[in-house]
Amino acid sequence: MIQFENVTKTYPLGVAALDSVSFAIEQNEFTFLVGTSGAGKTTILNLILGDLYPNSGTVIVDDVDISSKKCNKIENLRKHIGVVFQDFKILHDKDVFENIALGLYIQELTPKKIKEQVREVLSLVGLEGRDRYFPIQLSAGELQRVAIARALCGDRHIILADEPTGNLDPKTTWDIMKIFKKVETRKTIIIATHNTDIVNSMKKRVLVLKKGKLTKDMQKGGYEL
Amino acid sequence: MNQLLTSLRRAPYQSLAVFLSLFLTLFLSLLLIFCLNFLYGLLGYVESRPQVTIYFQNEASEASILKVKNDLEKSGKVESVKYMSKNDAFSLYKQLNKDNPLLLEMVTPDILPASLEIFAKKPAYLPEIANFLNTVTGKDEVNFQKNIVDKLLSLTSIVRVMSLAFFIFLMGTTIIILITITHFKVALKKEEIELLRLMGATVGYVRKPFMDQALFLGFISSTIVYGIFGGILFFFYPSIQGYLSGITSLFIDIGPYSLTVWPISIEYAGGLYVLLTGFGMGIAALATIFATHKYLAIQRS
Repeated sequence: MIQFENVTKTYPLGVAALDSVSFAIEQNEFTFLVGTSGAGKTTILNLILGDLYPNSGTVIVDDVDISSKKCNKIENLRKHIGVVFQDFKILHDKDVFENIALGLYIQELTPKKIKEQVREVLSLVGLEGRDRYFPIQLSAGELQRVAIARALCGDRHIILADEPTGNLDPKTTWDIMKIFKKVETRKTIIIATHNTDIVNSMKKRVLVLKKGKLTKDMQKGGYEL
Repeated sequence: MNQLLTSLRRAPYQSLAVFLSLFLTLFLSLLLIFCLNFLYGLLGYVESRPQVTIYFQNEASEASILKVKNDLEKSGKVESVKYMSKNDAFSLYKQLNKDNPLLLEMVTPDILPASLEIFAKKPAYLPEIANFLNTVTGKDEVNFQKNIVDKLLSLTSIVRVMSLAFFIFLMGTTIIILITITHFKVALKKEEIELLRLMGATVGYVRKPFMDQALFLGFISSTIVYGIFGGILFFFYPSIQGYLSGITSLFIDIGPYSLTVWPISIEYAGGLYVLLTGFGMGIAALATIFATHKYLAIQRS
């Protein structure tokens, strides 16, 4: 479960990113974060990831209060969070297998288990047989599939995706969303997006942000600003 | 091991630069340590010889000689004083020339003077002791290895100070070079490190490959340096042995233990290898910790 209680975040030069935002996301819930650029979507994802401290308020992830500066469980917590970026963040000197297994190596699984899990997730994202391909040999859509596979691998039950389809054509965008749909019952998924079609079609929970404030929280909502 | 070799192969020039820096530093360090120990061994040898010998005239009575001995022992600057009477000297002479009856026939106890052989506590006391002996009544001659001891003392002292300064400079330079190279490697892996940190990798996990490489290169370079140095020493062994003609072995004192530095004992050779390897791996590890420290902390703002 993810819980924000009156969270305010102001960046060093006085830019207000979030203003007293409160919401709770249950386990295995699928949520879209929408809003114009600078509305605070990425800030929310970074706060969940423990990459930022709030100026005030509380951020609780998996029963851990990560808003406290005394919190030393960030590394452990991050082992349960998968992140998908707009620019994929795929390592170009590693092949598909190595990129996906990155998070599994951290969890110090045995080589056999790593192989099994990578094979399983490759099949889930539709990249069977491409495990020894290097990123340069893949299309943008395939690279994003690799990134999603990396985020899904291991015991990562929270998936944060920041504009995961921002660089993709409409068909590939839908292919990517289908992957998220396949795992929605097993993972808590939060996607920050500008994509109106996806949000309107999928009818999931939508949190609307405007200038750092949470203006709407809709179950089975659509894209609104 | 495979991962380690792959990462070294993927950045061959950086690995070579680290290896060469370590090689140069370790080689020079080993040379310095060896020379210093050798000089200390030599100094110890010279110090163990009678450092000042006073020969007395025939008229000098045994009582007056023993009084000089007593005065010297009371001075607190003398480790030991050995009295050799005319008869003792004659006995020694006979023993040394027992195969030469002609020489034995020509010599009587009266010809050989009585003497005192003095060992100082510190070489620095030798001039003072020699000055005192020169004022003794009944003195015939004072033999003092002043020049040898002085030269050796000043040489050892110069080498020690210069070695220390050079060693610090060498170590500082090497660490800076290693930090720069490792920084460069870390910068090349910046994206991967950021990603690993976001995925929950600990500082130790991210640092491990850099540390493994550093320790591996430290170990390899020190072992190669040791092998090459051993080869050079083996090549020059006869020359050094010739130079030390008459000196069978050299020791240095390490606390209560005495270590044979020449001919090189197994303990000394083993100790040097452990020291060199530890030093090589240590500076490589230290440089890695410095180089990676900045990049690895989770910077929450």
